[in-house]
Amino acid sequence: MTDALLNEQIIGQIREAFLNLKEPVAIIFFGSRENFDYCDDTRRLLEEVSGIDDRLTLKLYDIDTDSEAAKRYRVDKTPGIVIAAMNGDQISDYGIQYSGIPSGHEFSTLIQAILLVSSRESGLTPQTREFLKNLQSPLHLQVFVTPT
Amino acid sequence: MIRAEGVEAMEYPELSDRFGVSGVPQTTINGGAGTVVGAVPEQNLLAEIMRAVSR
Repeated sequence: MTDALLNEQIIGQIREAFLNLKEPVAIIFFGSRENFDYCDDTRRLLEEVSGIDDRLTLKLYDIDTDSEAAKRYRVDKTPGIVIAAMNGDQISDYGIQYSGIPSGHEFSTLIQAILLVSSRESGLTPQTREFLKNLQSPLHLQVFVTPT
Repeated sequence: MIRAEGVEAMEYPELSDRFGVSGVPQTTINGGAGTVVGAVPEQNLLAEIMRAVSR
């Protein structure tokens, strides 16, 4: 049995952060056999995180064998993580994704994204919301980060 | 219609090179139509997005 990735202290901190969870969240993971090591680590990490609270549901996909799902969620990289709203059985995709292992500083970004989606509030100004509401064409924002 | 993707730069070096990523965070808009380097206030990001989509 391999060791857990998250120690008791970190799990405690996450549990405390998750006290602020409101609505259910789906954590949707896409892996691939080509990228096995990174994907396996990421999958295990997400399993541990989603296991901390009942309001989180983990869904696991393979980008090649589940290509329909990959297209639906607009995922083209592995490991790929989608953080979506879950209402009953329905998943609402807000387009929030992370590509790569969310390690180091990016791990707290993952937790923040889960909390954001759970709140069902973007926290954006009315001006920004108005602009986004009237968008006529796709908008793809890619934020490049490093874990250190 | 909107896709906001965090990308771990070192795992995707070709992509990072293509968009000239040196300092992080770097926000690339629509495959290079716009770029914002650093963490900026919402207003600034919105302005650059508006510029990028109007091209």
